[in-house]
Amino acid sequence: MIQKTSRKQIWYLGFWQMGAIVIVSVTLAVLINQFRPDRLPLVSVWAPESRLNLDTGESMVIALGEAKGNFHSGSAIFLDARSPEHYEQGHILGARNLPWEVVEKYFDAVMEGIPKDALIISYCDGESCALSKDLTQELFFRGYDNARVLVNGWSLWVEHHLPVEKGPLPGRF
Amino acid sequence: MQHTHEDSGRSLTDYSREIHARGHGPEKKRRWYQAKALAFLVRLALGIVFVYASADKILNPAAFAQAVYNYQILPDLLINLTAIVLPWMELFLGLCLILGLWLPGAAFLSTFLLITFFGALLFNTARGLNIDCGCFSTTDGTLSDISMGWYVLRDGGFLLLALYLFSHFFLKKD
Repeated sequence: MIQKTSRKQIWYLGFWQMGAIVIVSVTLAVLINQFRPDRLPLVSVWAPESRLNLDTGESMVIALGEAKGNFHSGSAIFLDARSPEHYEQGHILGARNLPWEVVEKYFDAVMEGIPKDALIISYCDGESCALSKDLTQELFFRGYDNARVLVNGWSLWVEHHLPVEKGPLPGRF
Repeated sequence: MQHTHEDSGRSLTDYSREIHARGHGPEKKRRWYQAKALAFLVRLALGIVFVYASADKILNPAAFAQAVYNYQILPDLLINLTAIVLPWMELFLGLCLILGLWLPGAAFLSTFLLITFFGALLFNTARGLNIDCGCFSTTDGTLSDISMGWYVLRDGGFLLLALYLFSHFFLKKD
């Protein structure tokens, strides 16, 4: 015997099934998360300042004014953490390109001749871009104690009409 | 099912209702099968998309949490929870669609999720925030307007598939 489901019934069915899928997924997800080694805390602090703090609580951030001063006095090395394509389209004048994706492979080549105590300012683009933060952490890890992040560096630099250049570094990537 | 006049225990209403459900002529029947086959293909495609999308996020929860944060839409309290739950929901939902389990609910939830994703993407494109959508991969990066446009187009396509399923289950004529 054919039981045709009425429109009202199908909506009802849809609702409870959707609820069931959500409940099963949430339970499964939270349970699995609790037991995996790289589990996330259910809640953590996401403010940009706290994400850019070192384990010691010290901030990795450098303000644009300070970075500008260092740029003009030539006392800082700028590292572009974005992809080579973006770097080619435009970067801070004199910046070296160390894309975060290939940091392992090119670290030594790019960082050649830079002393460990040099002021290194990494940047990428966008308030929430994490590449420069990751790169700076890597720098600290490798003993470059004077590394900083210029948050939203590329956009800020362009907005303030600071010196930029285009094109790839010869022979790299 | 074979139905003959010898069928006993069936009222005339049952019989006429069944005829109505199956359509009156071969043309209607053909269309009914076509709709059925199309819905099958659509839910298969959508299911594969959801399962595929979940894989990288399940493997890299921290990176996906970063992607959720990058959207700058959810309050901080909900970011990790979303990053933990969403990938498993996508996986389970994808499996439901592929295996034909709880289909009306799965169609409902797919539509709801894809409208939400699409809205979030449009919202961020409109306010000029260049983000990696984090849709399929958790690798973060900086992107040009072209890739944001591509994300919008692609997610719009998925949303159309979901809307088709939704209408197939919920809006078809009785």
